[in-house]
Amino acid sequence: MTIVKRLVLDVLKPHQPSIHELASKIASLHGIDSVNVSLAEIDEKTESVRISIDGGDIGIDAVRKCVEKVGAVIHSIDEVAVAKRPHQK
Amino acid sequence: MRRRIRRFRAYLRISGVSEISRRYFVMNSFDGIMVMLGIIIGSYVTGAVNPRVVVGAGVGAGVAMGISGFSGAYLTERAERLRRLRKLRKAMLSDLRQSMQDDASKAASLWVAFVDGASPALSALVCMSPFILVLVGLIPIEVAFFTSVGLMMVALFVLGIFLGKVSGGNIVFWGLKMVAVGLAAALVVAFLGGF
Repeated sequence: MTIVKRLVLDVLKPHQPSIHELASKIASLHGIDSVNVSLAEIDEKTESVRISIDGGDIGIDAVRKCVEKVGAVIHSIDEVAVAKRPHQK
Repeated sequence: MRRRIRRFRAYLRISGVSEISRRYFVMNSFDGIMVMLGIIIGSYVTGAVNPRVVVGAGVGAGVAMGISGFSGAYLTERAERLRRLRKLRKAMLSDLRQSMQDDASKAASLWVAFVDGASPALSALVCMSPFILVLVGLIPIEVAFFTSVGLMMVALFVLGIFLGKVSGGNIVFWGLKMVAVGLAAALVVAFLGGF
């Protein structure tokens, strides 16, 4: 069994909610320690952002649902770091 | 409950309704005050000040303005928001169903409709409240008339202060401007009623 420890997404989002709100919502998910959102491009109605997520056990489906809930769309998963799930003694 | 309120406030922030809400609040409160001013001063100068008539007409006008304001604003705002959402869907290449933008659009329409409906109704109620006191025998009608006119001027002054804060200008000056409009309207009604 494996766990996802890092995820980097290319996301298209509307101007609202802000990247701060988006980052906060993703960071509030279980298994996520930190979120970094940086703005790549901006036009009249949308923004392209790069979201870097680090955590102990990132749920990709939960992140996808969270992103879609704020009206954003995941264009691609650019980076993922996976590790073996540690054995529980 | 707190979570719902927080979420609702987030929706209002996302949909950017503050500016239009402020406009509707001031414009429609002003309408409510002016309608009551016309009813009260008009009936006074014609010598027909009957508290039942004033309260009845005031309640009727307040309810009509409330219903008209709510339904008209809701339908208008909903149409505009749906248009905006359609444009966003095209830009996002996504249907945005069950997204925050979809929920925010509905919340914004409801909020604007509430402000548009409640503000004239509440301001009319405040202005006619001295006549309600006459109906229950607490004050005489002459006192009610002057108290009501005084309340209207105070309400106009408070609206002016609000506009002054919004514009960042002199709040007393804005307050006095609104009162001046009210006094001008009162004089016109009194003059016309004298015929």
